[in-house]
Amino acid sequence: MIESKDLKITDVSTVDGQMVSIDIDTLPKLPIIDEKPFPWKPFTEEQKANTACILDDVCVLNIPMPKTHEEEEELVNKFLTGMRKLFKKENNWTFLPMLETSMDTCVQCNSCSEACHLYECSGQHEMYRPNYRSEIFRRIYKQYVKKEPLAKWRYGDMDLNWKTVARLAELSYRCNLCRRCAQVCPIGVDNGLLARELRKLFSQEMGIYPPELHQKGTMNQLKVGSSTGMTPNVVQDNVSFIDEDYSEITGVGIETPFDKEGADIMLIHNAGEIMAWPENIAAFSLIFNEAGLSWTLSSDACAYDGVNYGVFYDDAQTARLALAHMQAAKKLGVKKIVIGECGHAHKALTVIADRVIPYEYQVPRESCYVTLRDIVMSGKLKLDPSRNNFPVTLHDPCNIVRLMGIVEPQREILRKIAPMFREMPHHGVDNFCCGGGSGFAIMTRNNIEAWRGNISGRKKFQQICAAFADCMGPETKKYICAPCSNCKGQIREILEHNDMYNKHSFAYAGLVELIVNCMENVKPGFIHWECDEEE
Amino acid sequence: MAEITYKDKSFEVDEDGFLLKFDDWCPEWMEFVKESEGITDITADHQKILDFLQDYYKKNGIAPMVRILSKNTGYKLKEVYELFPSGPGKGACKMAGLPKPTGCV
Repeated sequence: MIESKDLKITDVSTVDGQMVSIDIDTLPKLPIIDEKPFPWKPFTEEQKANTACILDDVCVLNIPMPKTHEEEEELVNKFLTGMRKLFKKENNWTFLPMLETSMDTCVQCNSCSEACHLYECSGQHEMYRPNYRSEIFRRIYKQYVKKEPLAKWRYGDMDLNWKTVARLAELSYRCNLCRRCAQVCPIGVDNGLLARELRKLFSQEMGIYPPELHQKGTMNQLKVGSSTGMTPNVVQDNVSFIDEDYSEITGVGIETPFDKEGADIMLIHNAGEIMAWPENIAAFSLIFNEAGLSWTLSSDACAYDGVNYGVFYDDAQTARLALAHMQAAKKLGVKKIVIGECGHAHKALTVIADRVIPYEYQVPRESCYVTLRDIVMSGKLKLDPSRNNFPVTLHDPCNIVRLMGIVEPQREILRKIAPMFREMPHHGVDNFCCGGGSGFAIMTRNNIEAWRGNISGRKKFQQICAAFADCMGPETKKYICAPCSNCKGQIREILEHNDMYNKHSFAYAGLVELIVNCMENVKPGFIHWECDEEE
Repeated sequence: MAEITYKDKSFEVDEDGFLLKFDDWCPEWMEFVKESEGITDITADHQKILDFLQDYYKKNGIAPMVRILSKNTGYKLKEVYELFPSGPGKGACKMAGLPKPTGCV
């Protein structure tokens, strides 16, 4: 294995076996908090023999180890074919101009490294420079696709063999696609886009993807209606259960409308909320009803789940799901779609859908942060902010805040309802990823969980603790407002693993829960702290 | 994907140790998970939860929401954790032979 300081770009095509290993004992310690590392589980001999776990301590894709020279060649040829298609506008109708810009204009200043939480939290490991992956991609492009004269000498040689391909595939999954690096690039090179274009090539041309995103994700959603596996019947049963359950808890009768034709708004939740965070669903219904909105959910397959994992890895799947969402809204004749507390659903249905869905199929879309701000500011809800008399900090989901620029609406709400609101050290568009971005929050196998704990999630953990530096310990209850399902999943894991519920009285949930918690007509105590006794 | 052999039965499991096929479930599987979960005895309390999970799964093709499990069996979440230390998903659902939950949960 190669030490970080000795690692070269060409090592991906020459080294045999696992290329690097991150020693978790040498990672820089986080201030404020004593964290519990997640030990790496070494790969078994069987794994090493059968799958290409040849990059680092993690294996996301389980690419079968080629057994013959022909199989090795097939991997390379398919990759090259895909790569050529990626650079033709007939085949890459979505992102070609941005891709070409990012390929042609990098001046190797490496400003991106300093912006990357993975680079910082891996102890500035060479492999985690955002440009490490991009440079491999670029050299292959210039030498084998664009065939620039003297490319080898001008940009550096890059042997394209099966190891290069397998490692590049894995490298495209050592990035959270948070695009913080793109924001600091003086030229606008987007390493996040490059990683995502690679993922797309591997998925669309080679059938290589994480099963959580493809088989259990988009395919499951297109087949049964939701990535959770909920059918239209189950989702309606579950929501009516939530209505009943939370009517009792809140003392306010909650009724969630389904399939109301001609309503102004079709609300799309991430269906994971229904399964894992039902209080989020209840809170939305309660607020929307109390504000007198004309709104509905849809029970059409796909349309009761705002999830669109396609944005993490595949354009065709992205388009299929975005279209299903739009069609359901057209069918109900609503004026607009409001997207619930889910970051990637925001990206898929707004910024990306603008590019992949023809205009005549589109329905106006709005972020729930904006809808909620309008409701809270309208004075329609009777609020008692003193019920939220605990420290609150806010996590900015990358897809909503940095990508879309929705920074202030959620803060206007918090300034009004959370008297002890405080920002994290880096916030707004300068935020850091939760560590679960781009699909990682739902993956656990092959050390992915450990990777999130040791590397990708540590910056956020540090930020959260820094925001509460004046009140750590069990005495003061604290609330992390993280209005995104994916981010909540990641934050939950870090808090559980480090026993933060008991040791430091943390709770995490979204924006709507905090609003409901201070509504005067709701029974006090809507937010639940794990450190409190179970009711 | 891996294969587990226990008391002359073999089971195909995913990388997180969940059964790949619900139909492969048998009392030996329960025994196997019991040992790895560190549960001493399968009591009537365990059985009630396992039965509910299996019935619900057969009807709906998915595991129930945790609160539905609690309401129907009468066990609070804390009690479910006392019975199944890894919790309702990684403990109880796994023992009942349900697949690993999918989506953002």
